[in-house]
Amino acid sequence: MKAEQVLNALKTALGENFRNPELRPRPVGVAKKWTVEEIWAEVPREAIPQAVATLKSLGPLHISIISGHDAGEHIELLYHLAVGFGTEGGEVMVTLRTHVPKNDPTVPSICGILPGAETTEREKIEFLGVDFVGIPRRDHVFLPDDLPVHPWRRDEPEVEKFLHRMVEWEKGHEGKESAGS
Amino acid sequence: MKEKRAQDPNDPVLPAVEERELVYGGLEAGLGEVFEVPIGPIHPALKEPIRLTFKVRGERIVGVQVRTGFAHRGIEFMGMRQGRNLIQILYLSERICGICSISHPIAFTQAVERAAGIEVPPRAQYIRVIISELERIHSHLLWAGVAAHELGFDTLLHLTWRVREKVLDILEELTGNRINYAIPIFGGVRRDITPDQYPKVREALRYYRGLLNELLDAFLRDPTVEARTRGVGILEPKEAEELCAVGPTARASGLRKDVRQDRPYLAYPDFEVKAITPEDYGLTPMGDVYDKIVVRLLEVGQSIEIIEKALDNMPDGEITSFPKIPALLAHLKKAEGEGLGWHEAPRGEVIHYVRLVSGEESPLVWKVKAPTYSNLMSWYPMFEDQEVADIPIIAACIDPCICCMDRVYLVRDGKEEILTKEELLRLSWEKTRRMAR
Repeated sequence: MKAEQVLNALKTALGENFRNPELRPRPVGVAKKWTVEEIWAEVPREAIPQAVATLKSLGPLHISIISGHDAGEHIELLYHLAVGFGTEGGEVMVTLRTHVPKNDPTVPSICGILPGAETTEREKIEFLGVDFVGIPRRDHVFLPDDLPVHPWRRDEPEVEKFLHRMVEWEKGHEGKESAGS
Repeated sequence: MKEKRAQDPNDPVLPAVEERELVYGGLEAGLGEVFEVPIGPIHPALKEPIRLTFKVRGERIVGVQVRTGFAHRGIEFMGMRQGRNLIQILYLSERICGICSISHPIAFTQAVERAAGIEVPPRAQYIRVIISELERIHSHLLWAGVAAHELGFDTLLHLTWRVREKVLDILEELTGNRINYAIPIFGGVRRDITPDQYPKVREALRYYRGLLNELLDAFLRDPTVEARTRGVGILEPKEAEELCAVGPTARASGLRKDVRQDRPYLAYPDFEVKAITPEDYGLTPMGDVYDKIVVRLLEVGQSIEIIEKALDNMPDGEITSFPKIPALLAHLKKAEGEGLGWHEAPRGEVIHYVRLVSGEESPLVWKVKAPTYSNLMSWYPMFEDQEVADIPIIAACIDPCICCMDRVYLVRDGKEEILTKEELLRLSWEKTRRMAR
């Protein structure tokens, strides 16, 4: 599959919702040169399921991970998807970037289209406090169920307090640890 | 024989006679009570914590819930928020996994190199490939041994792990360590492979080439191994695709999915890697545990070929584009951008995302995806309708990087009974003995 083909399909399906598309060539190989192409683009959160469904119609689709971070005003999520595995150099990496406002941190879930996305969506619920509408299971995968904070949010005062407590604890235990070991 | 019998305290799994008849009799009719069996957080397969809560009807599993995070160390948080520089984070990334300890640094260095626009010299790319393929050999042999142990076939475990020592010796010779090799650094590798080391590597490869058929025979032609693994823990190709399974777990179901083939990186295009499925051994892929053994053992052979080819065609030249660390750190501090790095680890796809901000030593964002993360979901269909005694081998068959069990709680009528790791393994071994007869 060619990156151009994927790009055009997304453009046609999403229209105005497909913003700032970028093709990033990645030269690989030493004796046998090759270029792997990555697609990076911005998609508003409500168009994410449509974008994923479009990619799925092109060939076997794989979601690597959703990465995300707290960008101050909003939360940024990046969907790292790969479309069309199975042939040599035949897979195209697509990264869809979307912004989620902090006063309404919801995104439509893509589990209905790609069930494999469940673990990574649940992880984002725990770590960033983003809610995925329509996810089949939303209980915690990694963090304790009763943890009141979302550790990757930069506006969490509790995280800073926790780090401070940890530093203090380490200071208090320095002597004891070395004596013990 | 309807007389009620006191339950034998040494045999806590089997219900008392009357109850047993109800449970087994009800199986075919779809009747019988459903019990919840939480296993872990200390688990039977590998020495890492995870909790699997099974719903069982008699000896059959009807549902499973997976809960991880008992060893969540917050490594990404440490990298993003605690003021470490990228070289410190590189060593941190190496400690994400003790078995595939080069996979994460390879993906991480690639992500940073993409973000900072750093080139890797050809020789360094070849060295990275050689070390990762040596790691694949040791990881697959480690897994094969564990699988044999889970089946109660300890002779095979000792045989496989004895054979595995050779590749660890070679890794120690090349890198200085049996694990945590600390080979990749941004822009190259830390150590060169010297001319006097070539024959030692070649000799080890000859050793493995000679042994491979013997190993394949020991595992695949053994009627007991076949009886315990054929038709057990099946993952259909459709499920593997939808649940985004990766690595040997997906390939055993017949999906030709291998990052080295699909979107090659480093020097991998030179080796024309083809994803291996059971078809390459003349079998129709069923996606069961047996097929996972086939794929992993064949991949040992594939790795041998890649390393041989790499040694034959090794380019000359520099091993790093930044020989001086302060210059590298200064370059990284100035860099601004984002990048993805990926690698086919022995267990499947590893991917790292990094975003660098100019003037900051730590990355703004760092996200790590380990292969077990993708394969977690494939446990759901694999466990469905399997027997309790098959739990260890199914849990182990995706080669999870989290696990190990201490005891099992059997909750029956509100009472908790404790099954230790030894007892669960005993169940598995007894099944092997029954089938071997």
